[in-house]
Amino acid sequence: MPEIKVKEFDPELLPDMLPVYYKRLFPHKQFYRWLSYNNSLQHELVFDIDLTDYDDVRTCCSEANICNKCWKFMSVACKVIDVALRDDFGFEHILWVFSGRRGIHCWVSDKQARQLDTKGRGAIADYLQVSMSGGEGSTTKVALYDKQHHSIKRARSIIEPLFDEIIVEDQDAFGTTQGVEKLLKMIPDENCRKDLEQQLTSSMKDSRTVWSSFKGYFESLRVRSQLKPKLKYVVEEVQMAMLYPRLDINVSKATNHLLKSPFCIHPKTGKVCVPFNPNLVQKFDPINVPTISLLLDEINEFDGKRNEIAETPEDKSRIKDYKKTSMFKGITIFEEFLRKLEQSLKSQAITISDKKMDF
Amino acid sequence: MDFPKKSKIKVLKSPDEQSLDTLLPHNCLFYILPPMIDVSLKDFEDLAIERLKLLRILEQAGVKHPKILSDEWKEHVINELNIAGLKYFVRLLRGNGNTEQDMNARRRDYLSHFILRFAYCRSEDLRRWFIAREMELFRFKFSSLSSKEVKEYVELYEMGYRPISEDQKQEVRQELQSSVLHNIDGIDFYKVSFLAVLDLVRQRKCFLKNGFAYVSSMDFSIGVTLEDSLRFWREEFTKTIEPDKFDKSYAYGIRYNYGKEGSRTNWSPHSCMKVINTQGTSQDACGCPFKLWDASELRTRLVNYGINPVNVQDVISLATKGHFQIACSRYFELTHNTKLDEGISHPNGYFENSQILMENREPKSKTPQMSQQNQRRQHAMTQQQNFKRKLEARVKAEHDYDEELWKLSEQEEQRMAELKSKEKAQIEMELSQLESMDWDDDDDNVKELSDLM
Ligand SMILES: [Zn+2]
Repeated sequence: MPEIKVKEFDPELLPDMLPVYYKRLFPHKQFYRWLSYNNSLQHELVFDIDLTDYDDVRTCCSEANICNKCWKFMSVACKVIDVALRDDFGFEHILWVFSGRRGIHCWVSDKQARQLDTKGRGAIADYLQVSMSGGEGSTTKVALYDKQHHSIKRARSIIEPLFDEIIVEDQDAFGTTQGVEKLLKMIPDENCRKDLEQQLTSSMKDSRTVWSSFKGYFESLRVRSQLKPKLKYVVEEVQMAMLYPRLDINVSKATNHLLKSPFCIHPKTGKVCVPFNPNLVQKFDPINVPTISLLLDEINEFDGKRNEIAETPEDKSRIKDYKKTSMFKGITIFEEFLRKLEQSLKSQAITISDKKMDF
Repeated sequence: MDFPKKSKIKVLKSPDEQSLDTLLPHNCLFYILPPMIDVSLKDFEDLAIERLKLLRILEQAGVKHPKILSDEWKEHVINELNIAGLKYFVRLLRGNGNTEQDMNARRRDYLSHFILRFAYCRSEDLRRWFIAREMELFRFKFSSLSSKEVKEYVELYEMGYRPISEDQKQEVRQELQSSVLHNIDGIDFYKVSFLAVLDLVRQRKCFLKNGFAYVSSMDFSIGVTLEDSLRFWREEFTKTIEPDKFDKSYAYGIRYNYGKEGSRTNWSPHSCMKVINTQGTSQDACGCPFKLWDASELRTRLVNYGINPVNVQDVISLATKGHFQIACSRYFELTHNTKLDEGISHPNGYFENSQILMENREPKSKTPQMSQQNQRRQHAMTQQQNFKRKLEARVKAEHDYDEELWKLSEQEEQRMAELKSKEKAQIEMELSQLESMDWDDDDDNVKELSDLM
């Protein structure tokens, strides 16, 4: 995404801006294409991941705020879920959308996904739900055993290499007394917890030192064959508990939940809910997502320049307004998603008519 | 009820039955098409009662031996069937066969299934109970098929299960082995749409690739497909038959006693039973949680209450089989580290028992030096001693358990308080949503359709 100047958004002005936005910028045509791929009551399989569910592990921001450091939580979540949906369930038509403020949405539009009943949705959601949380204030936990499902192993292979950067460095998760306490809470054994508490709290240590002492402690127990079976994967459990995607699975299980649709304007931030490429999610910059105010300025500016170099009026009208703005990339992603979806529908239709020819 | 052998064959072998046999190609049946033949009133009644006996036996077996398909469970079922004179069912539990006896057993199995399905389609609770038992029966039958018989079976019913060659298996060897519970060597695997084995998917108990689940013949016996088939029929029945008409047409013969007998616990209308039978959704704060919450919700909660995974599975499998009260009792036992002589049958009973236990524990835990003596006392106690004393002794012996126990009781209280405030918040939310259609502060996510309409 090109560098964009952040423009102050004033929610008061939203009612004035929205009509212009919907008239000149909103990708209506693409939207109709999307909605017309079925005329019965079908519903995409959707996932909703929100940064507020990470408030016990993020220190950089809280609540509605978001920065490039905490976006990394979303980046990991997107990667883990995306690969599971594609490789395990064979879904292909997956649209990832920034939710406008502090989270991401995923729309799975394959025919099979749209036709899922509640039981099917529930099964997929449960399959992807690994961490256990008792809600606000409690510690999120993950239990790992010797036998680990291939989807768990794959999630670990995504999470573990990023843990130090995201949790230990960026979030400085164990650099405070509270952080160390949280870490200790995740140890399911009282003796070890007390042991480590003494080691870790005797003097102030930085996040990195705490984490390596933590790992070192259990490694030394393991070497001396004194590690209890329930602590065998304690390090990996901590990593998974802190970084495994925290899905709001009730959203995925039901068919009567609505997600904000792509290209909506978030009423509080003024930001557009732009689609992004899951393969480049780590490069997505949620701070510089275009706001409605910026977009309107952008078209005006563009039109101004055009007028300066005296293009003919028809020429100008042929260029779609959204193509003049920083929303362009999001629309391209959406169009590509639609193109593939239509292609697959066409090929299904051909298969069906071929079958009919047999008669 | 015992039948003289001759009458069985005579009653069920007319020209109609000749064509009936083509519907019954295997001892392990899918009940896809309903029978279109005349059955005498007496046979109708007898078949219903036999089927009911069979399902009751399965239920009892599940209570005595919670692990379905374990050797003890199977043995119990077989013994009881023999005692009840239902030897033809025993035949169906021993693999496939094509003798005249097999055919006769299939006919009775098939007819009695549909007759009882009528009786049990009338309410959600009856349906639930019926389907749970029928699933157990199917799993038993299926588990006794040899691997060759399974192959034939899959082809026979065109189930869309594609066998996986040894080469294909070796390609995904590692992923496959880490994703199923049993050893994969020497076991046939089939490729099937993940939609056909949702229960395995939910629990991450199968290897998934590109929308296909790799399942073994052992996994088959979970019998998910039967449930789906039944689900279809359940909907069909409730659509087409008015309750009135149903009563008039079928009320003559079938006197099932669900709710009056059928388990060691008294199942007749009790407060819990009433609660269970009351319609509710999982968002409601009323209703039996073991019924309202689905398996995953229940799992999340139980794990959060500190129950260990093995026991969690135990409770969940009881609940999903429709034994809500037994699941509740088991939960009580786990959280109070005790054994109940009588199951929980009334919510008040739950709290009363809990109170008694807690009160007895508190003072004892303050004097840990007593524990040795108590341990000796515990050894001296016999099984005849009453419920309360037994619990007391056990607790005294495990004084260090008290801390955890109190935590749990606190959690339970907190949970109840949360439920109450949740209910209140729900009402308030609904009111506020009526007043304003704006996205609220946490609106990144979702709105219920119903709220918007
Ligand atoms: Zn941040």
